[in-house]
Amino acid sequence: MPKFIALALSAVLLLAIPLESQKTKVFPFDYKIEELENGLKVVTIPLNNPNIISYYTIVRSGSRNEIEPGKSGFAHFFEHMMFKGTKEVPSAAYDEFLTQLGAGTNGFTTDDFTCYFVVFAGRDNLEKVVKIEADRFINLYYTEDMIRTEAPVIEGEYYSSVSNPDRRLSELLRGTAFEKHSYKHTTLGYLKDIQDMPNQYEYSLLYKNRFYAPDNTILLVAGDFDPAQLMTLVKKYYSDWKKSNYALQTPVEPPQTLPKRAHYDWPTKTLARLAIGFHGPAYSDEMIDKAALNLLAEVSFSPSSPLYQRLVNEEQKCASLGANFSDNRDPHLLVFNAVVKNDDDLATVESEVLKELERIKNEPASASKLADIKSNIKYSMADALGTTDGVAGTLARYLELAADPGTVNKLFDLYERITPQDIQDMAKKYFKPANSTVVTLTGGKAK
Amino acid sequence: MRASIKTYLIGILLIGISALLTSCGNKVNSNKLTSELLPVDGNPLVSFRLLVKVGSANDPSGKEGLCQLTWSMLASGGSKTMTIKDITEKFYPMAASVSLIMDKEMAVFSGTIHKDNLEKYYAVFKDMLLDPGFREEDYNRLKTNQLNFVEKTLVNNMDEQFGKEILNLMLYEGHPYGHHEAGTGESVKGLTLDDVKTFYKQHFVQGNFVIGLAGGYPADFPAKITADFAKLPESFTPRLSLPPAHMPQGLEFVIADKPTPASAISMGFPVSLTKADKDFFALWIAGSHFGEHRQKVSLLFQKIREERGQNYGDYAYIEHFVQGRDKFPAPNHAREQQYFSIWIRPLANSNRHFVIRQALRELKKFVDEGISEERFQLVRTYLLNYTKLYAQTLGERLGWQMDSHTYGRQDFLAEAQSVLLKLTREDVNRAIKKYLNFDNVCVAVITQDADSLKNDLVANTPSPVKYANPNMPKNVLDEDVVIQEFPLDVKAEKVRIAPAAEFFQKAGLPAK
Repeated sequence: MPKFIALALSAVLLLAIPLESQKTKVFPFDYKIEELENGLKVVTIPLNNPNIISYYTIVRSGSRNEIEPGKSGFAHFFEHMMFKGTKEVPSAAYDEFLTQLGAGTNGFTTDDFTCYFVVFAGRDNLEKVVKIEADRFINLYYTEDMIRTEAPVIEGEYYSSVSNPDRRLSELLRGTAFEKHSYKHTTLGYLKDIQDMPNQYEYSLLYKNRFYAPDNTILLVAGDFDPAQLMTLVKKYYSDWKKSNYALQTPVEPPQTLPKRAHYDWPTKTLARLAIGFHGPAYSDEMIDKAALNLLAEVSFSPSSPLYQRLVNEEQKCASLGANFSDNRDPHLLVFNAVVKNDDDLATVESEVLKELERIKNEPASASKLADIKSNIKYSMADALGTTDGVAGTLARYLELAADPGTVNKLFDLYERITPQDIQDMAKKYFKPANSTVVTLTGGKAK
Repeated sequence: MRASIKTYLIGILLIGISALLTSCGNKVNSNKLTSELLPVDGNPLVSFRLLVKVGSANDPSGKEGLCQLTWSMLASGGSKTMTIKDITEKFYPMAASVSLIMDKEMAVFSGTIHKDNLEKYYAVFKDMLLDPGFREEDYNRLKTNQLNFVEKTLVNNMDEQFGKEILNLMLYEGHPYGHHEAGTGESVKGLTLDDVKTFYKQHFVQGNFVIGLAGGYPADFPAKITADFAKLPESFTPRLSLPPAHMPQGLEFVIADKPTPASAISMGFPVSLTKADKDFFALWIAGSHFGEHRQKVSLLFQKIREERGQNYGDYAYIEHFVQGRDKFPAPNHAREQQYFSIWIRPLANSNRHFVIRQALRELKKFVDEGISEERFQLVRTYLLNYTKLYAQTLGERLGWQMDSHTYGRQDFLAEAQSVLLKLTREDVNRAIKKYLNFDNVCVAVITQDADSLKNDLVANTPSPVKYANPNMPKNVLDEDVVIQEFPLDVKAEKVRIAPAAEFFQKAGLPAK
């Protein structure tokens, strides 16, 4: 058996998590958190999977950070600029290094954070990766001309999904539901702001100084490496990175006091879309609100729920139905989505979703249903943690929120404690008409 | 421990048997089941990949989409004893599902389950495939979904995929590959539940099946599955005798006209090799150099996006490509015939003519000049390392194993490690000359004001572009002067224009 195949096989063997045979924690891996003097947190998770290493740099820079008018989409734009290299290692040399390494590498930006990852084979390459990644975060260098060339790429990225009505619906929902908070815009940002990015060189320097600093960054390394050696390397290469000490003040979203509604006419034929959003709580592994609502979403809107079965499989009014309660640093939206086959059924589906939310306030979920849900989320997590990159990728968003992998187990302990009454209480607290925003999209009438 | 060693040894033995079986089963028609086993002792997960060697190319004429609808009835419909509601409820606590992967010559029913739940999961999975319910309500739901996809979603909501599918139509019009797996608006409307039952009876037979299993399953589990599926009729679907794909004569354009601020572009032509061919590895290096999928090593990415900021990315492929986990190629899309393609992600309409010119000019340079020694060394090293990341999950490992055998290889990824090292720059450049060209290319464009683009193309109108950066590097601007007037030999009669809404509603391309 070729060596690398055997290694990959071992990775699968050792990372998969026994659930019943070993009463283990949902996140079962040993980990260590250390912090450099400059505030850089380093989370190491050695895994017994020879050869593969996932090296993640998590910066708390997302659309949440875009607090000034005209700067929507800037966190994502800056992600692009982070690939422009340094004076010592210009972008072409950086690209060539990663190409030689055969690394799986990229970055992505969310509402709350930007993540850069290098997934590669071979612990012998670790020092080279630490060195080059530290260099680009500490010594990033680009000119105004480089900004002006890169900015239109963002417009191209915007165009790559311009035909997707779901993106438009998401823009409309956020734009309508939020008044002040920067979650009002999507990660891509408004097109007019994107088109002004070529002129934002000075602001980009300000942005870098504020957020691309060790006290706003977490390094996550998972896989086949020696943690002590890694920490020696991290201290060697990252210690010169200067703190920012910038304290982000995100605008506080005022309580919504009246129901809101908006509609978008899509220019061509499309299935109708419905999204209903309610302002909800931020992520927490201590307060029950968000965890209880996560379970509610499964009780009422998962494919095993009676409403899904009726609207999708029996009456077949919907092509899809679901709930999306994202985990965020600040309070975000609890969103119910449906793709509706006939425009004429849009109002009925909206009414059914709202009726279900009323029902759940008054009828407790059964104990067996809750047990099924808890089982589902545990097995889903076990599957997600099945590879080195699965561990790092899954953990990245939790680290951004809580800076400690232990938050996963705390969250799942919280799930265990949640009762049907808790779910009812949270439904009553959040699903009020005055807290709702309904957006719809239909197409084909304009042309 | 002793039991584990025994399981392991049995596993090794079964791998050997499996390899022997598949070395025959995938190359020669047989009435009997074959299997692909990848036991991983101690792994608490089990991955299923049940491959049927029947795909959309087997759709009867006029019933395009029937294969997908039939296999969807198995993967997303109920069994005789359980409705889809029952199945969903049963699967939910296990976080289990059955997924369908569709392609032209094959389909795969896949799922991964924790071994805590293996018996419960398999009991349901087996009945879904071997004893399907074929209920009217499932049929209506899945048929409507398929119809909505071709009538609304594909042509209105996903322009990048729309462009790729038009390219497929251009290359394979009148060919068994020459329709979307979902069919056309007209063909799907005409399908009946009886068609589905007949297709199932005809094609869901032993000789079409490869049972793929990976992970920590019990040693006797493969025999159990084999016994269950051996109840299927002993028969097989004869391999299709595929006609040649359409080799474009000159530059052939199809333009789908719709209101849009951005143009999506795909272009390509058939190539006469697959992973089964010796030359594949050499052309693989060439393709990776020219356009590795969503990686900066791609030359097109560097020239179009990085140097000029025209769009989000630009890539090229020497075979049909489907993105799997992360950006790696998804296995189990093996085909007997392949095509070369270039994918230009959407860009401002004002720059469409320039970028079409640029892509074709780069293709010409690539074919004329080949790859430099420096790039050859770099890209070869890249592939040697990058491919180590391809098969990380059980399902991926199993899928690559199955593909290897489909193409008559023992282990494609392992062979790549040795074959790539033996190649020279000359081997790569020979392969480029042998398989690629720049004169005869099909180009699919989704854009607005299609007539205007046609006029520009036919008249070879200069197509200068403006940049947000007033200080673009001189070498870029100098090259732009050449690109903006790069002559393309586009004949008016080789440019078809049709409203976007007319595509995929009937067989073939819309009226010329």
